[in-house]
Amino acid sequence: MKPPIFDYVKVSTVEEATAILADSSKEAVVIAGGQSLLPMLNFRLAAPEILVDISGIEALKSLIERDNVVTIGAMTRHVDLGSSPIIARHFPVITKAVTHIAHLAIRNRGTIGGSLCHADPAAELPMMALLLNAELMVAGGKGPRTIAAKDFFQSALETDIQEGELLVSVSLPLLPPNTGWGFEEVSRKSGDFALAAVSAILVVNDGEISEARIAVAGVDETPRRMNGAEAMLRGKMLDDDHLTAVCETIQSEINPETDLQASSNYRRHLIGVLTARVLKDAFAGAGGIFE
Amino acid sequence: MDINTRPKIIGARVQRREDPRLLTGNGAFVDDRQVPGMLHLAFRRSDFGHAKILKIDTEEAASMPGIIGIYTAETLNEITKPVIAFSNMKDYQATPIRALAQDVVRYVGEPVVVVVAENRYLAEDALNEIFIDYEPLENVVDPEYAASGDAVLVHEDLKSNILVAREFERGEVDEAMSSAAIRVKGRFRSRRKTAVAMETRSYLAEFEKSSQSLTLHSSTQIPGIIRDALVDILDIPGHRLRVVAPDVGGGFGGKASLYPEEIVVTALSKLLKRSVKWTSDRMEDLMSTSQAFDEIIDAELGLDSEGNLLALSADVLGDVGAYSIYPWTAALEPIQVVSFMPGPYRLANYRGKVRGVATNKPPTGPYRGVGRPASTFVMERLMDMAAGKLGMDPAELRLKNFVVGDEFPYRIGSGIVWDKSEFSECLNKATEKLDYETLREKQRIARSQGRLMGIGIASYAELTGIGSRISAAPGMPINTGTETARIRVDSSGSVIAYFGVASHGQSLETTLAQVVAEEMGVKVEDVEVVLGDSAVMAHSTGTYASRSAVLAGGAGTLAARAVREKIVEAASLLFEVPAEEIDVYDGLIHVSGTNRKMDLRELARAVYSEMGRFTKEVRENLDLEATKLYDPYFGTTTSASHIAVVDIDPETFKVKIEQYVVSEDCGRMINPLVVDGQVHGGVAQGIGAALYEEVIHDENGQVVTASLVDYLVPSSCEVPTIDVLHADTRSPSTIGGFRGMGEGGTIGAPAAIANAVADALAPFGIEINEIPISPERLYRLIEKARNSEKD
Ligand SMILES: Cc1cc2nc3c(=O)[nH]c(=O)nc-3n(C[C@H](O)[C@H](O)[C@H](O)COP(=O)(O)OP(=O)(O)OC[C@H]3O[C@@H](n4cnc5c(N)ncnc54)[C@H](O)[C@@H]3O)c2cc1C
Repeated sequence: MKPPIFDYVKVSTVEEATAILADSSKEAVVIAGGQSLLPMLNFRLAAPEILVDISGIEALKSLIERDNVVTIGAMTRHVDLGSSPIIARHFPVITKAVTHIAHLAIRNRGTIGGSLCHADPAAELPMMALLLNAELMVAGGKGPRTIAAKDFFQSALETDIQEGELLVSVSLPLLPPNTGWGFEEVSRKSGDFALAAVSAILVVNDGEISEARIAVAGVDETPRRMNGAEAMLRGKMLDDDHLTAVCETIQSEINPETDLQASSNYRRHLIGVLTARVLKDAFAGAGGIFE
Repeated sequence: MDINTRPKIIGARVQRREDPRLLTGNGAFVDDRQVPGMLHLAFRRSDFGHAKILKIDTEEAASMPGIIGIYTAETLNEITKPVIAFSNMKDYQATPIRALAQDVVRYVGEPVVVVVAENRYLAEDALNEIFIDYEPLENVVDPEYAASGDAVLVHEDLKSNILVAREFERGEVDEAMSSAAIRVKGRFRSRRKTAVAMETRSYLAEFEKSSQSLTLHSSTQIPGIIRDALVDILDIPGHRLRVVAPDVGGGFGGKASLYPEEIVVTALSKLLKRSVKWTSDRMEDLMSTSQAFDEIIDAELGLDSEGNLLALSADVLGDVGAYSIYPWTAALEPIQVVSFMPGPYRLANYRGKVRGVATNKPPTGPYRGVGRPASTFVMERLMDMAAGKLGMDPAELRLKNFVVGDEFPYRIGSGIVWDKSEFSECLNKATEKLDYETLREKQRIARSQGRLMGIGIASYAELTGIGSRISAAPGMPINTGTETARIRVDSSGSVIAYFGVASHGQSLETTLAQVVAEEMGVKVEDVEVVLGDSAVMAHSTGTYASRSAVLAGGAGTLAARAVREKIVEAASLLFEVPAEEIDVYDGLIHVSGTNRKMDLRELARAVYSEMGRFTKEVRENLDLEATKLYDPYFGTTTSASHIAVVDIDPETFKVKIEQYVVSEDCGRMINPLVVDGQVHGGVAQGIGAALYEEVIHDENGQVVTASLVDYLVPSSCEVPTIDVLHADTRSPSTIGGFRGMGEGGTIGAPAAIANAVADALAPFGIEINEIPISPERLYRLIEKARNSEKD
């Protein structure tokens, strides 16, 4: 488990990074926290010629709130995301989600950019990006562009990032008032990748759900939004019968794989259980009264 | 000070002397050792479960940068003899172990080719350019199929895949069983597990050019056995091969066998006259370190209507993997499963049947608890199933059947004899600690609220500190029953205690120093302990089978007493008083009732260095050194009761251990801190066996749990607070009254947790017959039960 030979360059600006990434004579990849890339190298599942270390780019480390948008630099470490007061105030669902990412030692190094670009189907932050309608800013390639989270994740470990591109930041539009949230995850052990995870955002006005978002992870090639179930919730109250119907809809819309840790059926079962829990939490958090 | 009021060192909570260096990163493990010019190895391992090797092409790889040489069976097996794990058991079939796979590969991960290079990176680069042609053979993966006679032979030249078989009966089992008012039975499955020591296996053979001799630094539990085996394999005089086990980061049995890589490292060092190192990576560790616990057990227990045990029968099929491991043999685990099945209970009729069957999987070997985790799981499940049928509380059923008082020594159906141990007291203490009655009441309330709360008890007894009368592995002709200690006060007055045993986390440097200090009358910090070096003892084996506190502690006691006598003799001559008036305490030698005293340094100087202090006749017979061997002959009994309280999420089926109590009798404690630490670690591993850990091979013999993403080891988050209670009754059978206790935690925990989970699921009528109890397995059991309820 030793990596193959590679060159290593530590850059200090986005331009430097994208210049090396754009040079097609050598295969270069970005290294951020290294928590997913290094295992890939050690297992010899990847053999890039150059590692471009972006941890010295100060511009990628900011986390700011401006004009109803929170923008998170790609080099923001999980530990800083999890302890950020801005995040805790506006997106407590992220604060909770981060506690489920691995253990502290890994959270100290892993970054939001690395997690999104690695795009593990069971990872928490890609699911958060979908849930919170994130916009991802990339530099390099044919020029800077913005990608909506729903277009970013293409399949397991595959994203819309093109050769020569670098993820620079992630923007999250603030949520309206009367928003509640829920997050639940089941993993075999604390810190393991999710067998199944569900998160939800509900906005409740006058006892009725005006906006509903549900995202799931660990049960498909990419994290997914559950559009059908969301539509069922909009304009409704939440009661037992309706909750059951929503959960069943979600269960019928996913087709999880069977692997070593869990069968497809068990994962589907879990999604049902967790959906009910997060919707109740989100509904109550938004001031709704569950009947 | 009055002798009786002096603070005792044995039994004191002495801080581990290992901790400062280990906790500050200053330990010296094999891989820390750097020798100028040393070479590094990488192994190309079989990716087939079972195949003939047709052709190996290493030409391309050999020409790569930094490559010193590439070796296969053809070149390396020429210079190494096969090793055979002998056994005098009837019908045992041995399987020779070679340095590298010869002609046939028998498990995925078996070493086939070794690359020698300037560093490990270059060695691994070359692995990819080695081309091997295989002719696949039938993979024998399922143990029942392997045993059936329809399967291909894992070893062509053997009669069958059954490497070992035994059957015995005591009493009239059929008769007693058919008269039993209550009968419970089941087919139980304990899944394959591996040790996952934090330090992976690592070997460094240092070649000493001046003397043409080799020192193998090995992360082994058994430096003595390794040395003796390598002397034969390499045909090298023993004085030119020394095996040292430095700091070793956990063993759990996984480092208690001889490995092909150990042979290869040493053979290449001898051949190339260079120092050679290999350190396993985690992937190699998960596919090549010995595995364990892989058993299918059909068992039945019969009781009368009052709950008295009448008869037990057990039929064990152990999947022992591809080779009979050295030195323990394939008999080690399966035989112990049947041997320990009757547990701490009064039971007249027992029939045991066992087969160990070869399959295309890594060899199994010792693992903390050897056989007893599985036998305890089965017996204790049966006890709970019986309690359920009788409508009796599980604690009461156990108390009713424990061997007690003057029934000791008690011979169980397999022939093992329990010396006196506090079976009942241990359980009573545990139930008191938990306030068992109240706990059951809480459970009734929890159930009425739809919660799945369960309470599980496991009681067991085991043999520890085994002496020369019995082999640590059934039928194995190697003596594992003696240990030697040599203690010396040198000319500077320092006390150095040499032991043949090795330490890999048991705190033996601390506990053996305590024993020696107390027996000699010196301070703990004045005793230096030397362990794990084949050069310091004429013979030794190592640390395994919960033996070292008993055997090395016993030998250390005898040697310390002998040196103390010599100190007293010398002092009585120097002070010119009778020996009875000399007292040695805290490193000072006093004339009792006076203020005359000297310290060890002064005494040593007088004995060794100062002229004219003694007559010639006295001096010729006076040294401050003694070597003593200890043989506990039979060994002793250790026992415990564990109680686990679990809560199962009724929707996700996650099991949470809410409370855990261990109440154990390990005899006289040398150091309660160390005892508790051993219990904690053992229980953590038992939790792994109960809920998480499982080595999985697919139908082609491919290991699918090749990283710690898939092979799940409990972390501190999965291990609850564990209360440990002690009976602290001296063993009647050992010097010092010590009983071995390093393995016990792992023996009790799988059973206690399985019983707790079954108890929690009692409303569904679900029994737990298989470990680990993964949420997937629970999901299926519960779904099945819910569906059949609906029907
Ligand atoms: C034992 C263990 C357990 C884990 N458990 C979890 C878990 O439960 N949940 C979870 O979500 N994650 C888990 N992880 C993964 C962890 O969160 C990683 O930190 C994360 O997936 C990758 O972040 P990184 O900064 O380390 O990225 P790296 O490893 O440095 O990079 C990962 C990939 O992203 C690319 N990349 C990184 N940054 C950029 C960028 N700015 N632009 C373009 N490409 C980029 C790299 O080229 C590489 O391909 C675990 C990791 C380990 C080792």
